[in-house]
Amino acid sequence: MIPIKVLNKNEKEKFIKQLNEQFGIKEVKDNIAKFGKERIILFSAGISEKEIQTLDRFGRVEGVGVYFAKIDEKTNDLRLSIEGTQLLKNQITKNIFELDEKQAEQWMMGQDLNITTGKKGFFVIKFKGDFLGTGKISENKISNFIPKSRRLRYKESVKLS
Amino acid sequence: MPKKTYEPKPLFLERMKELLGKDFDAYMEILKHEPVRSFRCNTLKISPENLKKRLEEKGWKIKIPFEKYPEIMIVEGKYDNKIPSGAGGRDEKNNKSKLIDLEPGELGRSIEHLLGYYYIQEIASMLPVLVLEPKPEERVLDLCASPGSKTTQIAARMQNSGLLIANEVKFGRIKILAANLERCGVMNTIITRKDGIALCKRFKDENFLFDKILLDAPCSGEGTIRSTPRTLEMWNINTIKQLSNLQKSLISSAIEILKPNGTLIYSTCTHAPEEDEEIVDFALKNFNVEVEKIELPLKTSPGIVRWEEKEYAEDVKYSCRVYPQLADTEGFFIAKIRKLK
Repeated sequence: MIPIKVLNKNEKEKFIKQLNEQFGIKEVKDNIAKFGKERIILFSAGISEKEIQTLDRFGRVEGVGVYFAKIDEKTNDLRLSIEGTQLLKNQITKNIFELDEKQAEQWMMGQDLNITTGKKGFFVIKFKGDFLGTGKISENKISNFIPKSRRLRYKESVKLS
Repeated sequence: MPKKTYEPKPLFLERMKELLGKDFDAYMEILKHEPVRSFRCNTLKISPENLKKRLEEKGWKIKIPFEKYPEIMIVEGKYDNKIPSGAGGRDEKNNKSKLIDLEPGELGRSIEHLLGYYYIQEIASMLPVLVLEPKPEERVLDLCASPGSKTTQIAARMQNSGLLIANEVKFGRIKILAANLERCGVMNTIITRKDGIALCKRFKDENFLFDKILLDAPCSGEGTIRSTPRTLEMWNINTIKQLSNLQKSLISSAIEILKPNGTLIYSTCTHAPEEDEEIVDFALKNFNVEVEKIELPLKTSPGIVRWEEKEYAEDVKYSCRVYPQLADTEGFFIAKIRKLK
């Protein structure tokens, strides 16, 4: 059986409250589900939980919707994926960290950014008009979560906007 | 390093001569050239206008070949800005350097690609979804979905709404399908892993029907020779006959789970009539379906109605053969089948 738990109305409201507190996101029209222990997925309102379970009986369900966020094991904070930040970019108003061109290049190459920002916690990473996922800011660095398959593999001038 | 060349087998050449007649030489000539570098703007993330603008700012020369489909783009090269002013090789008047080819793999390594703003896809491979015309809120099945080129194209046309089931039987190909759907921000899709025929049977038993189905069938791949010349080495008439049987089973199963008046697109990337018109003919003769005329934005040939000793149903001619030499693409076959009430 597919390890998916679609959030009910109360759970969804609680989740959006956390999104609001962390990033200023007030509304998510689509369905939200937990996939396994940590991964949160977002899927179209046209898909019902019943359809997912029915399909899982028909043929093994390998994926639903898009990976959108992860719950941090230690802090229980939310870390948005690249797609999470892109899909909700119009609503993200809090905890945004803007990079300069050189930093954006390092970020997309998967490198941690060794900078002191005076901030702490999960921040949406942005360069001009592009949303580049979330980073964890600590005292002297921003930890990078760009998956290997999405990293720049060579140095190039990052003209993102 | 020059690409390894493969010698076409005599029977393959004989069959292509039979299919193409006077166009055979033009076909053989274009096989020597790699296809143009085409890609599709992922409208779930960025507008074609904005994508074109930012790629042009990188120095890429972008062409939109079909006005009706601005998401379809070709990169014709890039301006080499490393050539200094006054050194020759520059268009000084327009302050541009000469147009040069993109480096190998450059299209797939760009930031825009990594962020899911476009999908690298050959133009002929985009055509089946243009014919399918998926709409928001429909229930659509992509029966043989990996690597996800057409699935992501369908999702974009559905504006990430409705229900799209992307099925793939091979475990190894599920990962690449899932990765492509994620990169493109596709939210309306459920990925299933099951043999296509068995999956359709389950759908039929539960009366789980679809508005539209894309059956982009596994095939012998004769249409991909320009990008994958090794296809010539692997070509085998026995494989074509085996695939033809599999394709008949797949189309039979898919028609059973179409809603009345629903549309099925049957497509392959091969020219072999046993895998193309013979399958459409089989559907027409065994099910209550019709073949509809197709309008495409490029030059194609009609389906053939006779091959070796076989006569196909007259309406098979409404299918489309996409030959590489006609519009500088790879080869494809597309038929639009409607289930009658």
